[in-house]
Amino acid sequence: MGRGGARGPTRAPLFRRVALLRVACGAISAFFPFFWMAVTSLKTAPEIQRVPLQVFPDSWANWQNYREVFTRHPFGRYLLNSALIASTAAVSSLVVSSLAGYGFAKFRFPGRDVFFFGIIGILMVPFQSVVVPLYGWVSRLGLLDTYLGIVAPDLVSVFGVFLMRQAIEVLPNDYIDAARIDGCSELQIFFRVVLPSVKPAMATLLIIKFMWNWNELFWPLIVVNSPSMRVVTMGLISFTNMYFIEYNLLTAAAVISVLPILLIFLTLQRWVVQAVVMSGLKG
Amino acid sequence: MRAWIRLILPANYMDRQRRAGFLFVLPAVLFFSSVFLVPLIQSVIGSFYRTRPGGASEFVGVRLYEKVFTDSTFWTSVVNTVSLLSMSVPTTVILAMAAALGLNRIQSLKWRNVWAAMYFLPFSASLVAAALIWQWIYDPVYGFLNYLLSAVGIPPQKWLQSLTQVRPSIAVVNVWVRLGFDTMIFLAALQSIPGEYWEAAAIDGAGAWQRLRHITLPLLNPQIIMVCILELIFNFKIFDQVYSTTQGGPASASQTVIMLLYDTAFKYFRMGDASVMAVFVFLTLLVVTLLQWRIFRKPVEY
Repeated sequence: MGRGGARGPTRAPLFRRVALLRVACGAISAFFPFFWMAVTSLKTAPEIQRVPLQVFPDSWANWQNYREVFTRHPFGRYLLNSALIASTAAVSSLVVSSLAGYGFAKFRFPGRDVFFFGIIGILMVPFQSVVVPLYGWVSRLGLLDTYLGIVAPDLVSVFGVFLMRQAIEVLPNDYIDAARIDGCSELQIFFRVVLPSVKPAMATLLIIKFMWNWNELFWPLIVVNSPSMRVVTMGLISFTNMYFIEYNLLTAAAVISVLPILLIFLTLQRWVVQAVVMSGLKG
Repeated sequence: MRAWIRLILPANYMDRQRRAGFLFVLPAVLFFSSVFLVPLIQSVIGSFYRTRPGGASEFVGVRLYEKVFTDSTFWTSVVNTVSLLSMSVPTTVILAMAAALGLNRIQSLKWRNVWAAMYFLPFSASLVAAALIWQWIYDPVYGFLNYLLSAVGIPPQKWLQSLTQVRPSIAVVNVWVRLGFDTMIFLAALQSIPGEYWEAAAIDGAGAWQRLRHITLPLLNPQIIMVCILELIFNFKIFDQVYSTTQGGPASASQTVIMLLYDTAFKYFRMGDASVMAVFVFLTLLVVTLLQWRIFRKPVEY
């Protein structure tokens, strides 16, 4: 989050305390739904229907809902599906994006700029505008209801190509030429010289891609038919497909679904914030 | 043409270098062509064809456009989407600016990060999880919000189940999800402004409001425009939050453009109509993005 220390003009202590109060109020309202999700997931069905409403659960160690989430629906399978799809998307887009980033940053060849601006231009194409023909292709190739079909449109990201090109462009050319003179092949240079110097960008891309794909709903909803191929977001919705929604189960499932991303975020806060600010800058 | 032949059959070292560069970008180029470029062209072509039951398709010119653009269901979804984003976009941007200004004033780096993390947490939840947590808070009988209202003597409201309250209620979810993201962008920009600017203004006798209006906001102009555009695009494409909670209800009061596109294509299998909507969404967002580029190209005067 950048440098520390005083920012902005010096102010009277009272003024500063008011500002802090405002920040705290906002932060608490932002945090409250998470708190509400967590306490609800520890309550029993009669507890959440109590009148007047009771904020805290009777017992803080009531893990029954968490157990029931896995028996009511194959939620473990959903988690596995999402983990598989999100990590495949992250790794694949890392590989293809860094290859392309290197090509765009350090080589000259006919059509380079046309290709690059063509790819950046894709940022202006909303996924929803290509989804109907894409469904047609996936269906014709027999990939409906398969992992490959779910992950196919997410295997590369425009943001990734852009990010890796920016990161590789600033590497000194002498570095790469030296390796070339030493007799390294182009692929060897890529893996031994280029990639080790852009680890921060690689981490950024992995984190943001995993997050995006873990949380995705629209495309999986279209290609998945069988319950066993559902992803986590679809799994959450399957807890609402009843006349009466059991919110104690739903919130337990939601806690489980948010937890992996939350852990990544809390342990790598600096990286994630940087990644997100950069992904916003992509336009 | 000769350049391309030499790309395939390199004659010397420079040619081999060009071929290497081309091969490095080839996988990405092939991927984006097949996943975005070709389908986009197909969407445009598909919007001029009607598919008959049985699979044969026939060229119908702009008749599908006439059909969709004279359909009141379509315009209802457009009006709903615009009404939603006109509530959530300004709210998010203003609150994010207020939060970033407040966070920027916190001296201790550690505490600033802790508070910032709390704003940012909702961003880690999927839109589905976010919408469902809020649906529980909005629950008309057992929800927390009506409990709060009853404490100050206001009768319970129906929120997501009410024709008039459903759109503001969903707008709140969008604000909650996006606030942290916008705050981070503003905060990063604020921290790159040298503190001397404010000090100089303070010495010249500028009050807090004047400093905000004449120094901070003009300096943040590029970020404000960018965040506004990003929010417009994000909110225009709203789908997950509606699909997982109201499904467009009650009585189409929360039916949005992408919801309608999804239903048309994958519930009623009218692919031609859906392609018309796809082209509409593409062109609308294209205009928004081009507008962004035009505004961005203007140099910002300090």
